[in-house]
Amino acid sequence: MSLKISKLSQAVVTALLVLALAGCTQWRYDLGDHLTHVNLDKLQQGMPLSEVLDIFGPPQRISASPSGYLLAWEHWQVDEDSLGIRLGALGADILSLDWGKARIRGEFLLVTFDREHHLSGSTVSEWDNLAGGGQGIQPFIGVVSMVDIDDLVRSMPQNSWGATSLQELPRALNTQSSPLSGQSGMEQRGTPASIGQKSLELR
Amino acid sequence: MKIQIRPVIVAALCAMLLSGCVQYDSKRGVEVKWQSVITEQLQKGTSTRGEVLALLGPPSQIISLDEESVLYYLFERTKGNGYILILYNRFTVDARYDRAVFFFDDNDILRDYSTHIHEPEDK
Repeated sequence: MSLKISKLSQAVVTALLVLALAGCTQWRYDLGDHLTHVNLDKLQQGMPLSEVLDIFGPPQRISASPSGYLLAWEHWQVDEDSLGIRLGALGADILSLDWGKARIRGEFLLVTFDREHHLSGSTVSEWDNLAGGGQGIQPFIGVVSMVDIDDLVRSMPQNSWGATSLQELPRALNTQSSPLSGQSGMEQRGTPASIGQKSLELR
Repeated sequence: MKIQIRPVIVAALCAMLLSGCVQYDSKRGVEVKWQSVITEQLQKGTSTRGEVLALLGPPSQIISLDEESVLYYLFERTKGNGYILILYNRFTVDARYDRAVFFFDDNDILRDYSTHIHEPEDK
């Protein structure tokens, strides 16, 4: 009887240790304010810029364009979930099991204005989908991250506007044509650098 | 009948010692000076770019379209908190943007402007 209980307690301790080696981590990002649908219906062709600003407030992104201005408002929610089991503490440092996924929800309103500051076009998009994920068994050290959302949760480009001109050449030459400068269009979070005008940047 | 309880207690204590919570915030951008008491001094059609710069200081971004110009001010406030329970960890990060934008014509006269300061929901 004593032997049975002893084995039972050892099994419990082992199970607890294994559980302690597994971990589930969740990150929740909420960037910006929701766009109100009632306000979206108010947008009309030819509307003055001042009226649009009264409705939506200052945009989060702005850029000059050859025909006028581009203004954008956005709201992002990014969820990242990951689960990992490390066996290193049990002396099996050769193995880790990982799983992760990310989900994004968002709204993006783009409004264009002509040189007379009248609304010339608008478009809005909403999305709710998976942003990627994966699972893996990695020996010795974890080399690959199962989820990568860094490009979706970066600080706004306005915070580094002045610094872009102070980069070393040839990067500083990108400044005028960069979508982050406010002079040559704009881009949404998470836009790959290998497409669009950023693909032409000097590095 | 002797139960080996000590390893269980040790494991539980270890789990408790390794748990924790975090709270942090991050602030980026220019100082928020576009409260209504200040922007009330501005008038469309008469205020100049110099007056705006004198009131609000250097902007986060300057945009030009031919002779027109835009001053954009941004203050980014990020708050994060989370708890670490080893088995389950959760972090939430909320970013809000206080911002102001001013459009000037080719004579540097204020043409349009708008400001926004985020009000916390628990206020």
